[in-house]
Amino acid sequence: MWRRKRMLKELDEDIREHIARETQDNIERGMSPEDARHAAMRKFGNVTQVMEETREVWSVVWLNQLLADIRFGLRMLRKNPGFTAVAVLTLALGIGANAAVFSVVYAVLLRPLPYKDPSSLIVLNETTPMVGTVSVSYPNFLDWRDQSHTFSEMAAVRGVGFNLAGVTQPENISGGAVSPNFLSMLGVRPFLGRDFDASEEKAGTPPVILLSYSLWQSHFGGDPNIVGRTIKLDDRSFTIVGVLPSNYRSLDKTDVMLPIGVWATDNSEDAKERGSRGDLGVIGRLATGVSLTKARAEMEGIAARLATEYPASNDRFGVALQPIRDAFVSDIRPAILVLFGAVMFVLLIACANVANLFLVRGASRTKEVALRIALGASRGRIISQMLTESFVLAVLGGVLGLALAVAGIGGMSRLIPADMLSGATVNLNGAVLLFAACVVALASFIFGLAPALHSTKPDVQSELKEGGRSGSAGAGQSQLRAALATAEISLALILLVGAGLMMKSLYRLLAVDPGFRPDRVLKLEMDLRTQQYSKDPAVLNFWQQVLEKVRVLPGVEAAAVGTAVPLTDSHGRADVTMEGMTAPAPGNYPHPDVHIISPGFVETLGIPLLRGRTFTDADDEKAPLVGMINAMTAKRFFPKEDPIGKRFMFGHPSTDPPKWYTIVGVVGDTRLYGLANPARLEVYVPFRQNPRSYMALVVKSGADPAALTSAIREAVQSIDKDQPLFAISTMKELVSNSVATRRMTLVLLGLFSGLALVLGAIGIYGVISYSVAQRTHEIGIRMALGAPRRDVFRLVVGQGLELAGIGIAIGIAGALGLARLMSSLLYGISATDFETFAGVSILLALVALLACFIPAQRAMRVDPTVALRYE
Amino acid sequence: MSTKEERERIELLQGTLDLLILRTLRLGHAHGHAIAKAIEFNSDEVLQVEQGSLYPALHRLIKRGWISVEEGTSENNRRAKFYKLTLKGRRQLTVETRKWDKLAGAIARILRPSE
Repeated sequence: MWRRKRMLKELDEDIREHIARETQDNIERGMSPEDARHAAMRKFGNVTQVMEETREVWSVVWLNQLLADIRFGLRMLRKNPGFTAVAVLTLALGIGANAAVFSVVYAVLLRPLPYKDPSSLIVLNETTPMVGTVSVSYPNFLDWRDQSHTFSEMAAVRGVGFNLAGVTQPENISGGAVSPNFLSMLGVRPFLGRDFDASEEKAGTPPVILLSYSLWQSHFGGDPNIVGRTIKLDDRSFTIVGVLPSNYRSLDKTDVMLPIGVWATDNSEDAKERGSRGDLGVIGRLATGVSLTKARAEMEGIAARLATEYPASNDRFGVALQPIRDAFVSDIRPAILVLFGAVMFVLLIACANVANLFLVRGASRTKEVALRIALGASRGRIISQMLTESFVLAVLGGVLGLALAVAGIGGMSRLIPADMLSGATVNLNGAVLLFAACVVALASFIFGLAPALHSTKPDVQSELKEGGRSGSAGAGQSQLRAALATAEISLALILLVGAGLMMKSLYRLLAVDPGFRPDRVLKLEMDLRTQQYSKDPAVLNFWQQVLEKVRVLPGVEAAAVGTAVPLTDSHGRADVTMEGMTAPAPGNYPHPDVHIISPGFVETLGIPLLRGRTFTDADDEKAPLVGMINAMTAKRFFPKEDPIGKRFMFGHPSTDPPKWYTIVGVVGDTRLYGLANPARLEVYVPFRQNPRSYMALVVKSGADPAALTSAIREAVQSIDKDQPLFAISTMKELVSNSVATRRMTLVLLGLFSGLALVLGAIGIYGVISYSVAQRTHEIGIRMALGAPRRDVFRLVVGQGLELAGIGIAIGIAGALGLARLMSSLLYGISATDFETFAGVSILLALVALLACFIPAQRAMRVDPTVALRYE
Repeated sequence: MSTKEERERIELLQGTLDLLILRTLRLGHAHGHAIAKAIEFNSDEVLQVEQGSLYPALHRLIKRGWISVEEGTSENNRRAKFYKLTLKGRRQLTVETRKWDKLAGAIARILRPSE
């Protein structure tokens, strides 16, 4: 480029100099100066044209060529509208599906988290063999922070709920009580106001609060002078010290943020009790140069020391570390990666199909290409021109594909459960566009190169000599096309196996007995947080009134309250001691889920009573303590005896005085933690003997339970007008949400594999019908020699089935390898499930048969006389 | 119409100008005007070169690396660009000359088969 500039810079000077010399020569020959100059100019010719031509010598040839090729490509595509439409649509489906899925991949797995150096942020939890990963106790966190050296900083965040009253509709909001260094450790600065101060960690700190950007917008209209104003949460005034930035993302919903000192003031026991582990998470920043492995080793050492030091609360408790990204993506990663792999396959199939189309068309253009080569066009030039043509096609497909992707992204964001995205926004952004552009470029190479190389092979020049009978493609091309069709079949098989496995898993999962009857049950939660409920009788009185008012609402069949509803996040667990049990090590106590319930709870949820009785209104605060256990607990602790009449207590025997609960009933196991997770030990105790301010109300209705919502809300607010009801959903919805990721995977995988099946069928159909068209002559001869039509049919179908057979065999091998990758998404079947593999193979074989049927019939109808007369 | 005796002038065949430039420069470096003059003079002024067409040709040859260019001063102390045959150009000249001989011979044989 620079040479071009330098060479052209002095051109006009050179020309002027040249003309001057000629003029001088002419003057020396005796012309007048004026004539001499005119003659010189004449002899030189058109100066502008010379400059133009010279400039052209240096012009960028490839650019002009490319433009010409693009024009040529567009012309060719216009000339074959049918071919173009099919190819563009096929590519659009492939590219669109890729862009849509990639937008999710990017949003969830790739987009940088809005923190400073997010890769060194680690989420820490405690672990216990009884449950798995659990929350951290505050005293343990303080010890971790003091004793660790592999972390430069560590901060805790405790989930807190608040009731926001004094607005049109009272509501429950989520807050995070954080160590004062929490935001600065993440590298987040408040959008308005100030960050917390180190002094705000201690109990007794005044109530201050940061608002989330969205709460600031929705409840304060984005008031720029918000700092210094107050907000009333529960019945307390908090001074607003700032607003969080709009792009703030947290692992748990955060409407407000407050210093952990405020929480420690209100919950002094929780803050000091080492055995209290309730919704407290810890995030740490690795010190410079420290690996996760090293940090893990150090933390495990610390946890082991604490377990020895405080066996009552820490025996067998360990620590789990994970990068913050993993904490964000959690369960959805395998599903997303499986889907991303699936759309890649769809794209490959689409490319194979378009390559096939190109080959068919290439056959009819063989003569054109041969002629051009004969006339001296270089092979590279023709290949580059054909690649440009496929690139133009891919760009058209890409543009249409992006339009499809926009629709697809909308559909997918509805399919993906919101909590799975944990705040990630899925949209069409620069990264997705860039990805789509790469896919377009790559695709045009994949489907363009083989046909281009093929149709410019030197031996096609024999075409010219042969006079080319209707551009009959050589054996090479048939092989290439057959290979492409085979590849399509094998890719389609892999996708279908994936979809089949998902479908069977979901079917198995939904067939699991959850242990309760979700039909027509509505669940609503309430948290009594104001001062008026600080005494137990007030709490009990509130719940009693709610039950009385709701039970008489029209359409209500049953209503009850309880602390733990299956398939929700709210669970309580505690160590229990069975009477007469030999005392185990502190960490080995049975640790069942504890349900604190009103009478009618198991009946409302349809949990079966297996022995004894359920709770009644008589089981109140004055009556003897009673409890129920689930079948698993009964089997574990009373395998040979009747558990009715036996006693258990919460905590360890040292607790004094011991409060023994007499077992009065045994109920069925429930799948509290999801259909795929096995049942655990459970105990039930009456709410009047264990008052709780946070309960879920479950209501069984005669018809649509959701229709009862407003009547229930009115009933509750007639008791306390400021009491919010939240987390409202039907039990059916909870069941459905619990399988949402799997359902999304199934729906999309089903869609993609269906697409693959159709494209694969088109591929086989194309190859077979083309081969029939080419073999018309041969078939004619066979029939003239007396081959029965049946044999001709068998010949054609046999060819198709052979392709399908090879494709299916390769596909099965691939699926055996790849299905393992999705084993974490499967339930109740193995990744090599024979039925699925067999079913899918048969399905594909049938589709292939169908695809061959039409060309085979055409072959049967070949009239030998006609076929032979040609040529 | 000029009354002077008109020599029969022949327009150059496409591409032959390149050959003539290379041949001219074999004798030594020269500036543009001198090359044009030399071609006219050495062909007894039969070959009509529109002098301007020299320049695209020169640039083409530079781009191919067959000739090079350097700044200098001409005989009357004026600034000029001198074009010079490169080694590659020298080899190309041999090739082109052989090709030309072949072509000319072939055409001659066709035109005068009896000879």
